[in-house]
Amino acid sequence: MDLHFSEADHLFRARARAWLAANVPNEVRPAHGPESAQFDRDWQRKLFDHGWAGVAWPSEYGGLGLSGLQQVIWYEELARARAPHHINTMYIGLMHAGPTVIARGTEEQKAFHLPRILSGEAIWCQGFSEPNAGSDLASLKARGRIEGDHLVVNGSKMWTTDAQHADYQELLIRTGEDGLRHKGLTWVICDMKSPGIQIKPIRTMLGDEHVNMVFYDDVRIPLSNVVGELDQGWSTAMATLSFERGLGFIGDQLELYERVKRAIDLAGKTRLDDGRLALEDDGIAQRLSSIKADCMAIRAMTLADIAETDRTGMPGPKGSMMKLMVTTTHKALSEVAGEILGWSFLEFGGDRTAHPWTYDYLWSWVFSISGGTSEIQREITADRVLGLPKSR
Amino acid sequence: MYLAPDGEEAEIATAASDFLVGAMPIDRLHVAGSADMSAELRALFGEMGWFALAVPEAMGGSGLSAVEHTLFFREAGRQCGPIDLLAQSLAANVAQDAGLRAALIAGEVAVGLLVADGTQFRLLGSSDAAWGLTVTEGQAALYPLASIAPAALPSLDPANSMRLLGALPEPAHQVTGSHISQLGQLGAAAMLVGMAECALDLIVEYAKVRETFGRKIGSWQAVRHPCADMAVRVEAARSQLWYAAAAMKEGRADAAAHLDAAKHLANQAALANADSNIQLHGGIGVTDEHHAHLLLKHALLLSRLFGGKRSLLTRLLHAELED
Repeated sequence: MDLHFSEADHLFRARARAWLAANVPNEVRPAHGPESAQFDRDWQRKLFDHGWAGVAWPSEYGGLGLSGLQQVIWYEELARARAPHHINTMYIGLMHAGPTVIARGTEEQKAFHLPRILSGEAIWCQGFSEPNAGSDLASLKARGRIEGDHLVVNGSKMWTTDAQHADYQELLIRTGEDGLRHKGLTWVICDMKSPGIQIKPIRTMLGDEHVNMVFYDDVRIPLSNVVGELDQGWSTAMATLSFERGLGFIGDQLELYERVKRAIDLAGKTRLDDGRLALEDDGIAQRLSSIKADCMAIRAMTLADIAETDRTGMPGPKGSMMKLMVTTTHKALSEVAGEILGWSFLEFGGDRTAHPWTYDYLWSWVFSISGGTSEIQREITADRVLGLPKSR
Repeated sequence: MYLAPDGEEAEIATAASDFLVGAMPIDRLHVAGSADMSAELRALFGEMGWFALAVPEAMGGSGLSAVEHTLFFREAGRQCGPIDLLAQSLAANVAQDAGLRAALIAGEVAVGLLVADGTQFRLLGSSDAAWGLTVTEGQAALYPLASIAPAALPSLDPANSMRLLGALPEPAHQVTGSHISQLGQLGAAAMLVGMAECALDLIVEYAKVRETFGRKIGSWQAVRHPCADMAVRVEAARSQLWYAAAAMKEGRADAAAHLDAAKHLANQAALANADSNIQLHGGIGVTDEHHAHLLLKHALLLSRLFGGKRSLLTRLLHAELED
């Protein structure tokens, strides 16, 4: 047991900290519209030009080839520098589609797509969930039939974040017989400019329209866009999901600690309706401190898990417990912020920049539902960590 | 960077577990009069050198670090070990006299833990204690108890007796600094983590065999999901415990803050898991013959020692952390 970072790790941290201090943009990211996507492209391009793109990617594909521990350091420094949030329009490309193409793609697919993702030229979106296939992903129905050297896709997808900005989509469709669940699915790259695609934004309880329904009406996709084997898309998709459950959330995990410090600062300068500073209230102070302890544990869990993965080369089954812990803590912190801010917490008309705590409070349900609901994470923990009898 | 028992650390944890399962199994607490360490048990621990793990070699100890100390007490917690086990180990680090120290290490004289309560003191553990140990943030002291007759009190916790004292005599041995209180905090946190793990193991084992409505209860989501929450509490508390132990071993400036967080998380995990374990067992969970209530009652005691909720959270709020 030891807490030592290597000399190389210390140097990496110092280099990252110095570069971020000098290069994090001063302007706030626009909340929506094409300008938000352009902001993300510009930041990604800047990271790329200065050799900071692809922290999670191996060096042979243009990434930084970092150890898990160095990725932790990078996300800690991002949070400390209050850099643009890493979950932006680039997230699916960098954390889902890119790693999947690296793991299962052809040489042509790698050569075309990977550089475009890294440089911020291409924005990707996900196309897994459907109106009737969320947690039970294997029940999905969007169909692709083979016509010559093309797949012809019909059906609909749901909850597709940033579909309106995306150039490509990682699309999971049924190509085999109906009713075979995870057998007979195919993972394919869909060009979002293809004829027959219609995007309908879904307004959420946060007041924004980042997620969409996507409809496919005889959309033609070349068979050469299939990643992995035809009808073997479940295996390809799981490569992506296990990656997400391993390293995909470390940024959020580590950012929480910076946010609890900001909440303590906030409580130290915000007055309650009785005139006392919020931090002088025992209830608020205790809850903040307890959440701080939770955030310290989240960091320790992350470091323990990453160090183990660096040693064995295999992500363990603990990602689900991590996500449960992180989403619970995120919501608890947002609730205390609401108490600290009093009435002003309710002055929210959809402006994320002016009211970040209210926005984050509303987002806590998105966090505990997307990327595998808390209920699904408990099921995975019960199966894979505790070895309990199957519930289904 | 590595946050799990490794190499020789893992060997010590296994040796501790093997010894404790044989010498001090949790089952002992179903026999009347099994609270505290008996003279025989104390001598057995002394013979094996367990009281001297964290005592420097120059003082006749094993000279091991906060990490091995933590690993031992986590295993003790899994058997619902009494607080005198920790008091005896700490006292061996406090005694200034080589003869007394040797006797403490050998388990020949007994130590109880003294906790201030207003103007009085509560003496926990070892009804034959010749010495009482007080530990505060900056100081630890040993008091001779030979000429004092503490008043026995009923004790909710089957693992430890409780007695009441008025004024204390002059301390015979004193040390200043935070080393002893940190070892104490780490030991108590480790025991609570072991207890939280024990509660989880008990319900997982039961859920794999007990059936209701024709199915194993471990296949019902009403049971699976609280079990998953118990596993998360264990994982969080244990990870922070390892971090705190390593931080103390390495003498990091933020070790105290990590210890406070570790104790707080361990308090919560042990109490909440003891609660869930009783509830998920159903009727059998509230019977005297089951282990479930032992974990709850002992956690209520340990969660008040070496940092209760209020003091831990007050210190932690503004604590600065290193990278």
